[in-house]
Amino acid sequence: MSLPLLFWQVAFFLAPLIFLIAISFWTVRNFQMEPDLNLKNWERILTRGVFWDAYIRTMIYATVAALFTSLIAFPASYAISFKLSDKTRQWVVFLLIIPFFTSYLVRVYSLQVFLSDAGIINALLSKVGIPTMAMLNTPFGTLVGLVTLCLPLVILLQVFSLGFVNRDLVEAAHNLRCGRLRTVLQVIVPSARVGIVIAALFAFILSFGDFVSPLYLGGGNPPTLSIMITDITKSGQQWPRASVVALMMISTLLVIAFAAIKFAYRERGK
Amino acid sequence: MIMTSTITSDTIVKFDSVIKKFGAFVAVEETSFDIRRGEFLAIMGSSGCGKTTTLRMLAGLEDPTEGNIYLDGERVNGKATWDRDTPMVWQSLALFPFLTVQENVEFSLKMRGVGKKERAERARIWLEKMQILEFADRNISQLSGGQRQRVALARALVTEPKILLLDEPLSALDAHLKVRMQAVLSNLQKDLGITFVYVTHSMSEAFSMADRVIIMSRGKVEQIGTPQEIYHKPKNTFVAEFLGSANIFNGTLSDVAGNNWTIDTDYGSYIVHPEGDLAKQTGEALSFIVSAENIRISDASSSAGGIIARAIGEEFVGASATVYFETAIGQEIKVQKSHHELAALNFATGKDYALTWDSAACYVLPQS
Amino acid sequence: MNTNKNPLIETSLRLHLVACIAFIFLPILGSFAFSLNSDRFPSIPLGAFSTEWYRLIWEDPFVWVGFFNTVKVGLVVALIATILGFGGAYTDYRFRFFGKNVYLALALLPPTIPVVIMGLAMLAFLSRVNLSGHAVSVIIAHGVMCSPFAMAIIRLRLSQMDPDLEAASWNLGGSEWATLRHVIIPFCRPALLAALFITMAVSFDEFAVAWFVSGLNETLPVKILGFLQGQVSPRINAIGSLAFLSSIILIIFAQMLMRNPTRTSK
Repeated sequence: MSLPLLFWQVAFFLAPLIFLIAISFWTVRNFQMEPDLNLKNWERILTRGVFWDAYIRTMIYATVAALFTSLIAFPASYAISFKLSDKTRQWVVFLLIIPFFTSYLVRVYSLQVFLSDAGIINALLSKVGIPTMAMLNTPFGTLVGLVTLCLPLVILLQVFSLGFVNRDLVEAAHNLRCGRLRTVLQVIVPSARVGIVIAALFAFILSFGDFVSPLYLGGGNPPTLSIMITDITKSGQQWPRASVVALMMISTLLVIAFAAIKFAYRERGK
Repeated sequence: MIMTSTITSDTIVKFDSVIKKFGAFVAVEETSFDIRRGEFLAIMGSSGCGKTTTLRMLAGLEDPTEGNIYLDGERVNGKATWDRDTPMVWQSLALFPFLTVQENVEFSLKMRGVGKKERAERARIWLEKMQILEFADRNISQLSGGQRQRVALARALVTEPKILLLDEPLSALDAHLKVRMQAVLSNLQKDLGITFVYVTHSMSEAFSMADRVIIMSRGKVEQIGTPQEIYHKPKNTFVAEFLGSANIFNGTLSDVAGNNWTIDTDYGSYIVHPEGDLAKQTGEALSFIVSAENIRISDASSSAGGIIARAIGEEFVGASATVYFETAIGQEIKVQKSHHELAALNFATGKDYALTWDSAACYVLPQS
Repeated sequence: MNTNKNPLIETSLRLHLVACIAFIFLPILGSFAFSLNSDRFPSIPLGAFSTEWYRLIWEDPFVWVGFFNTVKVGLVVALIATILGFGGAYTDYRFRFFGKNVYLALALLPPTIPVVIMGLAMLAFLSRVNLSGHAVSVIIAHGVMCSPFAMAIIRLRLSQMDPDLEAASWNLGGSEWATLRHVIIPFCRPALLAALFITMAVSFDEFAVAWFVSGLNETLPVKILGFLQGQVSPRINAIGSLAFLSSIILIIFAQMLMRNPTRTSK
């Protein structure tokens, strides 16, 4: 019973990831990869300013996207959890699941139409007399795409964790003359902290690894790490170098995930 | 095997020095007992006492860590539950929600490879017996609690086993239905003449249905006997306390004169008449019980003597009342009296009374 | 709580929620609208109604090839992922063993790995073992990515099962295999079907890993990625809208199955 899945994931999930580590030490000669134990790829990538620029840019995009999405999401999640009837809540949750089954690519293409210089938003703006502005192929465009990607997931995870907040606690706080906003900040947010942090972590992971928004809404130049990987991979046999970038990304995500989980489950007091 | 020789034809189950451990936790301590063919045996105790584990070992759902279990003369250690014929009625009933009533009842026949037609016939016989034939094609979710109970019984009995195991099957029912199902179970067991092993935490269930009762606590069998024996002659202070109907007095045996033993307690010396041959030395700790209905209440000022205790509460029990006293050293004593008797005494809580009893009303606990 | 309501806050919270949902659905609905618009690059005011883009994809043989690849891959992936997921879910439900956490991590982690990395690792590994560039490569990769979803759905269903049910079946003479067949699988049937639909929908939309490993056997989402890289092409909207409709039908089926798991009376 347990074995098919174990076999599949070891053979086709674990093995490729381990193989990725292995080929980062391989060399490429005459467009052929050769097994080796060579630090040249690591040296080559890690000493390049272009890599570190992309690294920092990707970190900033992912951080901003995670924080911004969480901030937008929270009032919405709060409204879903505390202000809607059960029936409406079910419908809203259902609505929020739908985007997972739409093509992200199609949504990004659609956003291009909205955001471009002669696109719908600028057309609307010029109608009310606001000068057009560049949104497509800017960091703003990237951010819009990343928020579109992450928002439904973040709201759903927040709603899920708010569902576990004891309703009596909220009434007890009101009863103890804790104001509305203070109740939210000092009772509800701490009670749902694990879920809120995990939601932000997922937004970070998604944004960190996404290449579609930075490429098709942000213009792709200068690149993020994911764009670097696709470029290197698709433009030749330099997979070892791409794997170094990928491994740097995975280690970064591991560190961030570990820190976030540690923060989420941090004990109060002492 | 040596043990098989001791299994007589009227013994259906034998537990021989059985021990069950889960890791370091001992769920059942070394236990030996027999179950007689055709009897209604109740295993009773509070939660975690090992009663359900004992039943599950018999069913083959747990394997004993040590010792042997014999079923119908055969040693069944390690024999899978699906190879035994020890059907069980579960506390949750565990009816299959995706099958109809009849399909549930047919289930064990299907597992035994019985053909479709015969399956339906045999299932319908049992549905009829349990008076639920009209629900044969219903879903489980459409049945009431009592009807589900009957489906569970029919499902377990359809293979006509020699023994039926029941794990607190009535605990989910309301009090009224519970009494009716007790009657159904009792009659069923008499009609079929097969062995029922019934696990419960409820004394009223155990004592009203069972031929014999096993009292367990913390993985140990405390006493085996008929309800009468256990009620009137508990073996030790645990059983006496568990039944809760008698007052326990602890003391030291100070004098043995034939069948008149003197026990020194905190309230003075009492003469008791031990039953059977208890081998006790003077100076040994000893306990005796006096049941609540055998204690007399008099005014503290009267010359009756006895224990002076303060009335602290009164509980209404139909035609009579249970009144609670506290002695000077803080022991609680309960006494059962009719309302009429209490009125004659001008009984009021907060007042002191004298409590007395006859020495014939004392029962010496064999184990202290 | 009623006395504590402030109409201004209540209203603005609800408006915010509506704005968030609008933001999420704007590109989706926009894509629908654009697919039926005659303009190559729609703006305000919108152009005339047209089914031109649908005609174009209908007549595009490459779109059809992509479509059949997608369906082929999706069906096989759904079957594989559901079987693997069922095994994993049952393992988690039933057994306790040394290293179980490692097992669960291995089973559930794939969706947290960024798709580019997954794509690169798959491409490098599969081409090493000569499995790259086939439909089978996409099936392998999607099997890895979809089985955690199937496992989660089925595990949820198993957690609703009376823990005595399985033991009751053993007790009534069902061996472990018979119990699996006659009790566990029937009990999980709604979740198994839901898992089939959901994993199929996930595979239908996955483009990144498929793009890395598919070679010439492009699935439809990979086709879309190709369109996106090339000229502006409203055909994307037409394909996207059709794909969206089919995914929605799949999840509505799944949703109905999950919501009403008890068997209706005959």
